[in-house]
Formats: sequence, C-alpha cells, structure tokens
Amino acid sequence: MKSHPSNRPGRTTALAAAALAAGLAAGSATAENTLNVASGGSQNMVDYVTDYLGPLFEEQNPGWKVRVVGTGPGDAGSQKIKEKLEAQVDNDAWDTDVIATNQKKTGEMVEAGLLSRYRSEISTGDLVTRDTAEMALGTNVGGYVMPMFHSQTALAYFPELVSDPPGSYDELRAWVDAHPKAFGYNGIKNGMSGVAFVVGWIYTYGGNTDQVINGPYDPALKDTWDGALADLKAFNEHITFTPGNAGTLDMLNRGEIVMGPVWVDMFYTWQADGRVPPNMKLLVLGPGMPGQPYYYAIPAKAANRDAAKKFIELATSPAVQAEGIVNRFNWYPGIDAQHVQDSLDPAVWEKIFSDVTPADLAEKGRPFPLGPFFADIKEAYEQKVTN
Amino acid sequence: MRPFSRRPRHHPVPAGTAATKTIRPAASRDTHAHLRSLLLIAPALVTVGLLFLYPLGYSLVWAFRDETAGGWSFANFIKAYDFYSLDMLFTVVIVTLATLFIGVLSIAIGGYLTLGENRVAVAALRWLYRWPLFIPFVVAGQLMRTFLAKNGMMNNMLVGSGVLDPLSTTSFLDWRGIVITFVWKQTPFAALLVAGAMASLDRSTMEAARNLGAGRVRVLLEIVVPQVATTLMVALILSYVVMMSVLSVPLMINAQTPTMLTVDMAWRINSYGDYPVANALGFISYAMTAVIAWIYLRQGIREGGKPA
Amino acid sequence: MIARTSASTLTAVVLGLLAFAIFGPIANMLLWAVAEAWYFPHKLPVEWGFSFWERVFRPQGNAMESLVNSVLIALATVVASLAIAIPAGLALGRGNLPWRSFFLLLFLLPQAFPSVAVHMNIAHIFYKLGLNGTYAGVMLVHTIQGLVFAVWIATAAFAAVDRELEEAARNMGATAFQAFRTVTLPLALPGILASAIFVFLISLDEFTGTFFVGVPDITTMPLLLFTASMEGNYQIASITALILLVPSVAFMLVIEKFLRADVLAKVGT
Repeated sequence: MKSHPSNRPGRTTALAAAALAAGLAAGSATAENTLNVASGGSQNMVDYVTDYLGPLFEEQNPGWKVRVVGTGPGDAGSQKIKEKLEAQVDNDAWDTDVIATNQKKTGEMVEAGLLSRYRSEISTGDLVTRDTAEMALGTNVGGYVMPMFHSQTALAYFPELVSDPPGSYDELRAWVDAHPKAFGYNGIKNGMSGVAFVVGWIYTYGGNTDQVINGPYDPALKDTWDGALADLKAFNEHITFTPGNAGTLDMLNRGEIVMGPVWVDMFYTWQADGRVPPNMKLLVLGPGMPGQPYYYAIPAKAANRDAAKKFIELATSPAVQAEGIVNRFNWYPGIDAQHVQDSLDPAVWEKIFSDVTPADLAEKGRPFPLGPFFADIKEAYEQKVTN
Repeated sequence: MRPFSRRPRHHPVPAGTAATKTIRPAASRDTHAHLRSLLLIAPALVTVGLLFLYPLGYSLVWAFRDETAGGWSFANFIKAYDFYSLDMLFTVVIVTLATLFIGVLSIAIGGYLTLGENRVAVAALRWLYRWPLFIPFVVAGQLMRTFLAKNGMMNNMLVGSGVLDPLSTTSFLDWRGIVITFVWKQTPFAALLVAGAMASLDRSTMEAARNLGAGRVRVLLEIVVPQVATTLMVALILSYVVMMSVLSVPLMINAQTPTMLTVDMAWRINSYGDYPVANALGFISYAMTAVIAWIYLRQGIREGGKPA
Repeated sequence: MIARTSASTLTAVVLGLLAFAIFGPIANMLLWAVAEAWYFPHKLPVEWGFSFWERVFRPQGNAMESLVNSVLIALATVVASLAIAIPAGLALGRGNLPWRSFFLLLFLLPQAFPSVAVHMNIAHIFYKLGLNGTYAGVMLVHTIQGLVFAVWIATAAFAAVDRELEEAARNMGATAFQAFRTVTLPLALPGILASAIFVFLISLDEFTGTFFVGVPDITTMPLLLFTASMEGNYQIASITALILLVPSVAFMLVIEKFLRADVLAKVGT
C-alpha cells in the first residue's frame, strides 16, 4: 500500500477501472503492503527475488507482498535506478524500498545523498568484513550497503578445442596470434565482462596497478597507458567482437568463438539452462581479472524502510546466502564465507569452486579500479583503441 | 501532380443555394476559420508542448551548459564530435542506406500488388509482407541476432540446402545486420502506405499504357511512382526518423565500433553519468533529422501544401 | 506458353525467398520458444518442451499482469491519441490553418529525438504532478510517441472526405457540428481507425517511458522482454515476444477492414 495516496489523484480510480475492465485484480496496491525492490542486474538477479527470496519474505511476513523490477545489467541498469530516485528527490516518500545495484552507481548514489545508512541497524551487519562493504571503487559506502553476492569474471573455453588454455594475458596474446578470430569479447560499450577484460589488460600492462585500484587519483596517470592501449588495438585486430555479456556466451554456445571472458555466475546459470554446452570450462587469467559485488541498499526516503531492513536482514542471513546465493544461483556469497560454509553441503561448495578455486580467487580476483581511473580507462579506450 | 489535391476553398456555389445563406465577406470568414482551426489543433499542440517541448528544454540546457567553465558554450558539442564523429557518419550512412532499400522494396511490393497479373501471387504477397509490422523493435533485434549469426539459422539453412559450404559462412552481425533488421521491420510500414496510394490511383492511364505495349516495370516507374511520390516520401521520412531514434537494434546487433548515435548517448549517460555530452549527441541526431524535415517542408511548398 | 511458365516459376521463387526472409526469423523465434536446450553444434534444439512457458507464467512472475497492463494501456493510448488527433486532423486536413507544414512537422519531433534523454525529464515533471506510477501517466508518454502517426493519418482522412457532401448537409440546414457528426466524421472514421493500429503498436513496443513513469507500480510486457532479450535469455524473450504478437495481430484483424487505400494515399500530405 502506498503511504501517500493523496499524491496521486486519479490513481485509485484508474486502477479500479482497469481492474474492472480486465476482470482481474491487477495485484498492485491492494489491501496488502507492497515492498518494492529494484534490481539493476541480470535476469538471474530478478529471478532470485521473484522465485526464492520474495516468497520466503512473504511467508515470514504475512500481509506483505514483494514486487521486483529488473532494469538490466551493467552500469545501464543501475543508472536507471539512480535516475528514478533522482527524479523523485522532491517527494516525501519514494516508491522504491530496496535496491540492488553495482559498485560504481551505488557509490555515486551515496555521494548524491540518495541512500540511507542502515547496516548498523540490522543483525547481519557484522557478518561482512571484506573491504568491499566499506569502499566501492574509492567511495566510502560504509554503513550504506550490504553485499548481496560477489561475482568474478573468468575466461570460458572449450577444453576439446583449446588443448593448452592460456593462463595469463601474455599467454592469451600468443594464443590469439596463433588462432585469429577464435577469441571474442564484447568491447566496453556492451556489458561489464568486456570492460573487465580491458581493465585486466590495463592492470597487466599499464603499470601502477595498486594506485589504479586504491588511489590516490592522478589525472596524469592515464598518459602512461598509451603503450598498453596500442597493444590492445593491435590485439583487437585478431579477435571477434561479441554483442554483450550474453552475446559472448551465445557465440560460445554456437561455436563461433571458442574462448571469451564471461561472468562466472551467468556462465553456470546458462549451463544449467542448457544454453552453454555442458563440457565448457572456466579459468581466471593471470595476473588478475576484476570481480565485483552487488549491493543491497535502502533509498533515503523509502516508504517502507523498516520492511526494507527486514528484507535485507533475511537476504544476508547465513541460511539464505547458502541456499539461495550459492546453491541455487551460483554466486559467491556476499557475507564472509565462513558463515556460509557451515550451512552448506560440502558438495555444493565443491561445485561452485571446481573450475575457479578459492586460491585462484584470492590470488587473481581483483576489484574494479578507483572511480575516476575507471572513467579514464574507458575514455582512453574510446579514444585510442576504437577511434 | 497530387492525385487528390485539396479543393479550392471558394467553390462556385451551386445555383439556388446562395440566397439561403448569409453572405459574409471572404476576409472575415477566413479569420474565423483560422481561429476555429487553431482551436481544434490546440489540444494536440498543448500535448506536444507539455510532454515533449518542455522536457526537451531541459535537454537543451544540458547540451549547451558548460559545467567546468560555467556559462554557455559549444564545449559539449566539440567533445561529442571529437569522440563520436565516426559514429555520426556511420549513423547517417546506415539510416540512409536502410531508407533507400525500404523505398525500393516498398515500390516493388506496392507495384506488384497494383500491377501483378497472377491473382494467387498477389494474394500471397498481400498476406505475406505485413508480418514484420507487428514485431516490436526489441523483438526484431533479438530475432535477427540468432538468425543472422555465423552459425545462425540463415546460414544453417543455406548450408543445409547446399547453397553455401560450411566454411564460407560469415556473420552478418555488423552494419549489414543493422540495415537488414531496419529494412525487415520498416518495409511493411512503407509498403502499406505506398500500396494504399497506388491502389487509389486512376487505373485507366495504367491500362492505356499497358495496351500500348508498355512493360509493367516501365508503367510502374513512369506512371505509378511519380503519382505516389508524396506518399512514398512521407513513408520514408517516418521510417528514417524512427530508425534514427531506435536504441535496441544497434545495441543488440552491432557489437563493434563504430556504432549508432543512440548507443553512444545511452553509453555517455550510463557509464559516465554525462548528460551534457549525451544531450549534445541528441541534438546532433536531431540536426540530421532536420535535413529530412527541410526536404519535407520544401516539398510541401512546391506542392502547394502550405496554404497562404 | 514456355515464357508464361518460366514467369510464374520466377514469381514463385521470388515469393518463396520473400517468405523465407520474412518467416525465417519468426520461425527462429518459434523454435526458441519451445527449445529446452539448444547448443552448438546442433542445428535444431537438443531438447524440446514447455518448461520455460511455465517459468514465464509462474504465479510469482507477473507476466499476466504485465500483459493485461500492456493491452489496457495500448487501448487507452489509442483513445487518447484519437481524442487529440481528430480535432487536429480536422484543422490540418480541411481548416484554413496557416503554416500547415510547420504544424505537421511539429508532431514529427517527438519521434525524432532519441528518447533516452527526454524520458528522465518527463519523469521528473510527472513526479511533481503525481502522475508517476499511474496508468494516466504511462498513457500520456505513449500518446506523445504515437502522436505523429495519429495526427498525420487523421489529417489525410479528413482531407479525403468530399467537401461537397458536407456543404450539402449545411445547405439542408445542419449546423456545422451536425454536419461534422453526421457526414464528415463517419466518412473519415475508417482512416482514423487505421491510424489506431500504429498507435497501438507503438504503445506495445514502448519501453523507456514506461520504465521511468510507470515502474514500480505499473509494468508492461516490453519491460519483461527487454531484460530477457538483452540478457540473451532467448527462450523467455521469444515466449514474451510471441505473447505480445497476439494482441498486435488481433488488433490488426479488427482494424484491417478500415485500412482504405485512398486514405493511406494522403498520409502526411
């Protein structure tokens, strides 16, 4: 139920008429309370709330209904949520109660004052100690966020067709020279797996990796990437471009490329759906490829703040993280792993870490760069690689 | 040239009726009619004003505001040009090419529907050509992505039927894919209008020409097309404008750079939160449509479509 | 005789190719809608079935609600567009409006500006007016997108009505409004209804405006489709697309008999 019906003249009548005309109650704004969740991620993140978390919350909180809207993956999806909040900044009660967004946009929303600080108010708040719960690409987000899950980019390949898979960026370059057009990635405009590949390239060949990740920001640093970018331009001559995160998986699926960077969780989900051959495998390129968490956050003027807190508390509880996040949806847990491992079947734990081991993740899993460096990398790619 | 040009406003009044009407001076009647017409069009103008021009005003401010220096400037346009000049060219070429194909195909379809002699074939074509009209752009993009790919359904079928050998297949998911998708989706729309215009022509000239031994192609090009030129132009303008502003098709089909301006706009906003450059790109895209609008206006004047 | 046969063979071949070009992609969609698993190097799905249909229509999902919303909003958009376009079309099609081409062009503008940038501004305004999250708000956003088709076609329809009939009615003592209601409007109506199909389709296709103005209270079918499609979830996208086709084709069948050649001939002129 909206707590501010007076703001919306005509809404009730419009709804009533619509419901009458359709002969069905459309389900919105009925006697129940509705918790509005906006998810700025892939379809699996929407399905996760629709099929698993939402029903669980409704069961534990009678009288509540969870409604989730997906806005698509990458910056675009999270940006839409940010714009949606910005557009109603003058209203007293906002129409979105819980958001799930990526690091970069969550950081921007914290800076813009669009979010509310809640982590200390929920009981699961201290189950996460990773630094991604405090810092998002250089923005202090401590107290505003709880990680929903972590994910990692990795290289997917056909073991039958790639007998000696490259273990590092150097080896990949040699492999691509020998097998032109068999490797594919999605550039930087079509999803984060391609961006991650480019960022990993800069980490490898651009130098000053620590500074690029942790700061301080230095606008002059981008000029030192010219060599790396020129190499990348040459490298791009011998590869195939794919249309998006899903596009890479899709071209792998059709055998048009035999190797490409993908998100680990998407890969497993596609494999479970029969859209990626069961024999494909994953590896993380050395010296490292980026990964990222998705965050749960509560908008500053959420209409149902208390229910939103309960929802996130449930979502970040060890049992839900084990069953929902790891077992059913193949993500790495958002809260610290030791809390989750206890409530999980060891076989499941093995499965999710079979191709990419915890040691790989510790050694080669990197965060994305500091916000302004991140923008510099993308603009430099636009100017020096694609132009 | 126009088959149904609007009738002159001052008819000779049929005999016997003049007496029953109050005769007013022509000038005042014109002013009165102007006022009434403006009143009738007012709701539509208000809608465009409130729901489009007013929000567009914000875009205008974004595009011309220089945030670093303060004040107004062309800085955002210069940056947009620096980064995306190639994409601007690409967009024009793609959309123009698609428009040309749509024009040729819709003339061919309309022409066959009008002049075709095989009744079965005409009926089949009439039933056939409209289907893509109902497919939303999002769906069209997604259909073509799996259809045109290297190992997609089209190549599979061509290989299966022996037209192609498996090694010579190529992917069409680049600029060609965008053009193909646009043509596939928009041709039925243009053909619907063009065929409608052709069907309403006076058939006697066509038949006379046929009887004199003119081939059907010649009749189509020399008699039919000139008479439906205005409708054709309008159909193509609408298609051009729609294609300029579609985001989903280039986003889904063309993974490579260069890409279309709508993709760049979305990218500037989503990736950098850069509304100034995004809106500057929007106005550049607008300028490209303005050229088309100018052609339309000129045509309108030449045809006498603009009342005094 | 031989020439005749070869000509019909040629016609058949061309029609066949056209059918392939038109139905190939659509057939591809139908296959994906019933494919359980389909991966390289298989040319056809490896497993067939309807489990993804169950997923789309599962009670927790909001496919049915979105479909009902889509159709209701599209119908409302058609009504709103016609309400605006009929007087405007009358003025443009027959009135003595100065700068006629300029006005016609004005209605083209909303289609011409890439909507990515404008919709957020509209949302900002609508939040202030309390229109966000209402059917009326979504309908208005869709109306503006379809307005060029509604107005241009209504203009053509009124221009096609024979003026003498109207004057005859006036001469027999009818008021201007009576003449309009009993003569002009019925004659122009088929053309005006033809514009409805384009408005209906645009409304069914619209995505970004619905997101900014409708969500989270109102979701429509394209919102579901867009995410699934961008994600490469072909089964879900194909099924959703197929469902969207049903109202489009049904509406077309109703409207089809109104698509008259002489009206289409005058669109935009």
